[in-house]
Amino acid sequence: MFPIKYNYQNKMKKLLFALALLFFSIQNYAQDLAKKIPANAFTVATIKGDNVFKLMFVKDFNESFVGKKLLTETSKSLDKNFTSIEDFGINLEKNMYYFNQLSDSITYNCFLIPIKDATKFESLINDKEKKFTLDGETRTMILPDSTSIIKWNNNMMYFVTGSIKSSFFADSLKSAKYGIKDLRYQGSDVLTDSATIVTDSTYVTTEEPMVETVIAPPVVKAKVQKKSAKKKVSSKKKAGKKKTAVKRKKVKLAEQIDVDDYAVKDSVGMDAYATDPDQYDEYQKEKAEQDAKTKALTLVWISAQADKIFNTNYESIESNKSYNSSLDKNAIAEVWVSSLQDVYNSISPEFGTYGKAGLMKGYGSLTAKLFMDDKSFRISTGLELAKDQADSYKKIMNRKINKKFLNYVDSEKAIGFMGYAIDTKAYLEEFPKLMQQTYGSFLGGRMDEEISLGTDLFTLLLDEEAVSKVVKGDALFIINGLNTRDVTYTAYEYDEDYNQTEVTKTKKETMPDFLFMFSSEDHRLMNKLIKYGVNKQRVSVDNNIYKIEEKKSPVDIYFMIKDNIVFFGNSLTEMKSISNNNFRANISKTHKSLLSKNNFSFLFNAKNLVGKVPDQEFGGEETAKKFNETLGKMGNVYMKSNPIKGNLVSADISAEIPNGHENALKYLFTLIENASK
Amino acid sequence: MNVKQCYKLLFFILLIPTLSSCFEIIEEINMRNNGTGDVVLTINLSQSKTKVASVMLLDSVQGYKVPSKQKIQQELAEAVAYLKKSEGISNVKSTSDFTNYIATISFTFKEVSNINNITRNILARQKIKATNTSSYSYNKATKTFARRYQAVTTAKSEFNKLKNQDKAVFNGAMYTSIYRFESPVTNVTNPASNLSKTKKAVMLKSSITNLINGKINVSNQIQLSK
Repeated sequence: MFPIKYNYQNKMKKLLFALALLFFSIQNYAQDLAKKIPANAFTVATIKGDNVFKLMFVKDFNESFVGKKLLTETSKSLDKNFTSIEDFGINLEKNMYYFNQLSDSITYNCFLIPIKDATKFESLINDKEKKFTLDGETRTMILPDSTSIIKWNNNMMYFVTGSIKSSFFADSLKSAKYGIKDLRYQGSDVLTDSATIVTDSTYVTTEEPMVETVIAPPVVKAKVQKKSAKKKVSSKKKAGKKKTAVKRKKVKLAEQIDVDDYAVKDSVGMDAYATDPDQYDEYQKEKAEQDAKTKALTLVWISAQADKIFNTNYESIESNKSYNSSLDKNAIAEVWVSSLQDVYNSISPEFGTYGKAGLMKGYGSLTAKLFMDDKSFRISTGLELAKDQADSYKKIMNRKINKKFLNYVDSEKAIGFMGYAIDTKAYLEEFPKLMQQTYGSFLGGRMDEEISLGTDLFTLLLDEEAVSKVVKGDALFIINGLNTRDVTYTAYEYDEDYNQTEVTKTKKETMPDFLFMFSSEDHRLMNKLIKYGVNKQRVSVDNNIYKIEEKKSPVDIYFMIKDNIVFFGNSLTEMKSISNNNFRANISKTHKSLLSKNNFSFLFNAKNLVGKVPDQEFGGEETAKKFNETLGKMGNVYMKSNPIKGNLVSADISAEIPNGHENALKYLFTLIENASK
Repeated sequence: MNVKQCYKLLFFILLIPTLSSCFEIIEEINMRNNGTGDVVLTINLSQSKTKVASVMLLDSVQGYKVPSKQKIQQELAEAVAYLKKSEGISNVKSTSDFTNYIATISFTFKEVSNINNITRNILARQKIKATNTSSYSYNKATKTFARRYQAVTTAKSEFNKLKNQDKAVFNGAMYTSIYRFESPVTNVTNPASNLSKTKKAVMLKSSITNLINGKINVSNQIQLSK
């Protein structure tokens, strides 16, 4: 699409690039492509080839269900015969990257793939219609819709696709700069046309500003813009090309201006479109024209961006501290998002007025890492907070679960539990601050005083100390197994004459026994509430165990206060044994550390459900069998929050793999295979 | 987690694994020799009352909206009001027991054919497509009582489209019909039906899934002694 002219500078640059390339390839065959990711990348996702293929050899992958499927499908669609994923020419031992760059005008979605054998790779994409241009070592291919480019050399493949933001071109001043009109039914087009002409003329007459507008536009951050100066040469040639197109247009537009008085047309424009089909056709035609222009601009921008990646040196993401600290050499895959606050701000114009609020203020980068080993899958997520926020959370999280809770966890039988611990007093004290941070900007700067007044009032009204004595902030919900109990129901019996009589029958029903507990030092309020409940006959009492008299509830719920713990549960037996100090439970070491070391923890142990539910509850033996089989295959699922380190809050989710599988990746492949059967 | 969420979580756990439930629908017709008679329709969910009570606390389950107690009572009242206006129908009563989850509707008819279109019309008012075409007749001269029933094929295909977990709701669900007469029965055409010892009543039991799938036909021609 763009005939490439070579000039002296370009050649020099190429030479330097080739030398640099040579230098790098000698130093380090196939450098890590992270060096090629610009420092202002918004999101970076990595798949770590070496870690993946450590778990599963390439040979095993080729022979797996997924591998076979991939190879046969690609072979079929390209009319070739691939026997190994190595035939694709990709360097499987290196990292593959995805990253994106956002700006107010365009979003770039980019992939960086390490190449081992460029010829093999070309055989993947090179067929009769898809031609590519060669520029030294670098080959470029523009995809048919001309909003994506593939560029590659012997070391890497770069794929970029750009999508222009319509909101940017809705601003006629900005869009006019690029010769694009913002079309509306209201017929305000002529008005923008005139603006276009004005800018068009600057395109033609002045050199310098044009360079700025054509080349630098897509990237918002200053760091990269500074470097655009280097690219004047290539930009000139594009500008030159543009010149002819613009000239043609100018003539056409000048004619229009002569005929139409746009001030008048503006006011009647809408009616004209509504009544005159010709006008509407005209609108459609114009729209198509504008769309083509936007596409052409996209191509100019992505070409420039791809050139930059290949041909220039710039500050890479490796200089970003947050990115660097997010890396983990053991992860299989990683995702890093530079800053939630920035993400929000970048998309917020599309939310209108509310978008300006900066709701994500104080939330920094987000990371997610996937690990797989011989025992489990693990996803570890982290979120960076602003210092104030992190300090607030540190105070709130400064609490461990009540050690006495652990006496009521029976690891042998437990189907699941969820524990959490926060410091209520700190929470109530920090809450207004956090609210102010989040919603302060939401309500606009002018509300600052009111918010501050509100938070003071909150602090004044609440005695944080007193509240934290009633509810200390730690709790545990646990299901210690299933229990069968007799349930009565109504049935009918028939005499000799088939006359109906109502009878009450009993049946066994299996239900989980749950226990919920939280620490409380001050029971005065609770006791008053109980007394009130008893008086209103909403609560009945037997010794020290209370029962909630709620007809709607399908199960009985009991509660009691003992050892500064408030217990809720649906098993009277359990309640009684807690009350009589003969509750027998053994907590395992893993469960103990999971609960006592983290502010939040969750466990689901499916195995403890196997065979515990009677078949008829499933509606048949067959369903029961299937269900039990699935449960039996499931390992433990854990979730936990980690202590705050620096300004980083993080949490882990992990799922154990069942016995008999070499590692989590291979297990995942078996799962996919089974699911597709 | 607030109390309501806690409650929801708990009932979600109670509902594992499926909603397989036992319920029964009973249709009783007491025919008098002069052609008049009484009908009692009963739906009894008491065997699944724990599950029903749990479901009733949720807004929706498996993607279906759960009607409230008020809504159910209102629907029942509407059905009664409709019946009262229907030709040949009198003495309409309904009961609903939300402890054991049993609901009944009973009424008296002048002729058994009066009830032919009632069920379908009630269902149509609720925008539910009838799953069968069913009609009753009684010939006073020959003393023959007939129930004609034809399963609608679309019902079967619609049912088969349901997800397995939704189908499971119908596992164990039963349909019972009892026809009582003043004169003894001399012959019944449906081999699946049973004649009482006194020969004055005929009963037919079937699982609801068999009915929907058309595996069982409840058509019957009952001949009374003249």
